[in-house]
Amino acid sequence: MINLRRVGLVARRDFLVTVSNKGFLFGVLVMPLIMTVLIAMVPKMMAHSGTQVAVEVALIDHSGAVTEALRQELDPATLAAARAAQARQATGQLGPAGAGVARAAAAAQPDIPHFTLQALPPDATLESQKAWLIAENLGKYARRALVVVPAAAVLRTDGGFETYALYAPRNLPQDAEGILHDAVRQSLISARLRATGVDPALVRSATEVAPAHTELVSAGGKQQTGQGLNRALPFIMGVLMFMGIMMGGQSLMTSTVEEKSSRVVEVLLAAVSPLELMWGKLLGQMGVGLVSLGVYVALGVLALLQFAMIGLIDPLLILYLFLFFLMSYLVYGALMQTVGAAVNQMADAQSLLGPVMMLLVLPYILTIFVGGRPDAPFSVILSFVPPVNAFIMMARLASSSPPPVWQVLLSLLASLVAACTTVWFAAKVFRIGLLMHGKPPNIATLVKWARMS
Amino acid sequence: MNAALALRGVDKSFGAQRAVAGLDLVVPKGETCGLIGPSGAGKSTTIRILMSILFADAGTVEVLGRASALEAKDRIGYLPEERGVYRKMRVGAFLDYLAGLKGVSAQQSQARSRDLLGRLGLQDVEKKKCEDLSKGMLQRVQFVASIVHQPELLILDEPFSGLDPVSVRLLKDVIAAERRRGTTILFSTHVMAQAEELCDRVVMIHKGRKVLDEPMAKLRRQFDVSRVLFEPLAPQPGDATELRGVPGVAAVAGTEGEYELRLVAGTDPAAVIREAVVRVLPARVEIARLRLEDLFVGIVKEAGQSEEALRQHLQGLTAGEGK
Repeated sequence: MINLRRVGLVARRDFLVTVSNKGFLFGVLVMPLIMTVLIAMVPKMMAHSGTQVAVEVALIDHSGAVTEALRQELDPATLAAARAAQARQATGQLGPAGAGVARAAAAAQPDIPHFTLQALPPDATLESQKAWLIAENLGKYARRALVVVPAAAVLRTDGGFETYALYAPRNLPQDAEGILHDAVRQSLISARLRATGVDPALVRSATEVAPAHTELVSAGGKQQTGQGLNRALPFIMGVLMFMGIMMGGQSLMTSTVEEKSSRVVEVLLAAVSPLELMWGKLLGQMGVGLVSLGVYVALGVLALLQFAMIGLIDPLLILYLFLFFLMSYLVYGALMQTVGAAVNQMADAQSLLGPVMMLLVLPYILTIFVGGRPDAPFSVILSFVPPVNAFIMMARLASSSPPPVWQVLLSLLASLVAACTTVWFAAKVFRIGLLMHGKPPNIATLVKWARMS
Repeated sequence: MNAALALRGVDKSFGAQRAVAGLDLVVPKGETCGLIGPSGAGKSTTIRILMSILFADAGTVEVLGRASALEAKDRIGYLPEERGVYRKMRVGAFLDYLAGLKGVSAQQSQARSRDLLGRLGLQDVEKKKCEDLSKGMLQRVQFVASIVHQPELLILDEPFSGLDPVSVRLLKDVIAAERRRGTTILFSTHVMAQAEELCDRVVMIHKGRKVLDEPMAKLRRQFDVSRVLFEPLAPQPGDATELRGVPGVAAVAGTEGEYELRLVAGTDPAAVIREAVVRVLPARVEIARLRLEDLFVGIVKEAGQSEEALRQHLQGLTAGEGK
């Protein structure tokens, strides 16, 4: 007969000791905070906000057909229009709900550099321009570059088209370099088309298709999706489950080993039964896992709110996440607790922990594949095979093609049966293992203990 | 009999090793019982079975009228041999936690802990972390944890091991107070003098079997008169022969400095002493007190022989009582 008061006291102590530990606070609260700050700050810091780079570009155009086109491509109005088109493309991929992300990404981009083009006579060379190119004391944000376009880059020869050369000192920013390459490429294409009598503007408009997004059609009507998020969400669910289980399970195993190695376990067993101790610890660390998961989910929701993408997440998905987490935690937590009770020190735990970690990492990796093929027979069958089923079902639920409700309920039932079986096994091994010292056991020994108990 | 605990026909094996074999043990309420025996005799296993930490392969256990200690844990205090604490926890919080598990409120626990810590010379340690205390101090803290809930039955496994003499005295005082309160106490030890001093009853086990179970008073009566220690004032080579000639003396052992006169069963030691001091001038004459240690050593020595020989040895030691 389990005394719930004692179970509650053990759970409370384990929970409070773990969550007040500096390592836990750092892992659960400080790390996500640092990551959030970094994610928000790094692009802004990279963008040199308010500091526009001025690039003087010298062009040696042996073809005589690129200069004007390049001048046009490097015009501030042209560059601003190109960036706006990129933002529209990003919005299209994320869907309308992802407009916030596109806006945030655009805001985080560096200012567009200001280019000025100076055409040099065809007899100029890299050697004659080298001193100009690498001159110092130009000013904090002034940069230089030299583009050499051979005649064969526009006029086709037997060997096909030649390409251009871009020379730049080390301090040319990466974004300015990228823009310059794009501009020269576009100029060359325009020049080549003109040389063959084709209007470049016509070709450009013919090759551009405005971005569109997928609309899911169901009995309930149409639903717009964010393809990027849909692809990532199953994996994100796997990560959340994995982190919650690891947070709770790892500290469960560590605290069990510590209690056993410090011999405090016998003092505890004078006050509580082995089953009460096991349940108390299991529930206490479940609380730890729930707090970790809750923090990560809350941060995720905040991020989605920030980027106006909250509409992409079904609240039921979060409910299922917590339900499947609880079932999975009981399975993996009980196994980790068994390992903790069986060994005398953490170093001995590795050999027994290996198979448990394999069972935990495998479904986590599978979420990547299942998210892309949620209705494949492989995905459907694995949704009912414990202990991987919780991860697989969460990946399917988070995919663009969620499973029917009966499959979700059946998967939950399979998880519940697995949790009960694992906890039953763990209870038997826990009772024997807690007072066993000496050589660390192998899996066969654990099974023997379970049969003895 | 109103027994606080009773084991009947208890067996426990670990693989091929039989740790406890057919053990019967009954401790009446209010009695202090010493469980003695050499290391590896099965004392700790017996106690763990009593506490339902281990489960017997066969036999029955009854603790405070219940079929298992699990049903009476809140009424039992237990100090295990392998003592442990949460090293990072503060002493006060540790005691409150264990008392809480035994159903004691935090308020009661704090008041009792403070009182007991004070009586054991541990004032001002409540706020300290367990890892900051010495081994001896921790042992006293653990003892407090075992009695803070005022148990009806107190089980102490080697309670004095590793303690300095002052701490041993303080602990004995608190145990005596628990005894006066009416607590039934079972404690294991291999220090015979402690068993002699504290116990109403002694149970000796060896290789998992009970080889002695007698009230201390009975043992005292049996053995107190069997030996007389004699120290001559001016030792002479013929002293041993003179003493051996005293009526009622069965044998004389020892050297010229000190002799032990072993008396024939039923001999009046006073008569032997009167005759002995006439024959040899004494510096010191003393009736040997019971030394449980002799009994203990005798049993362990006999262990090399058959079980039957061991039982005969014990019967010889306890013969005479009840005739």
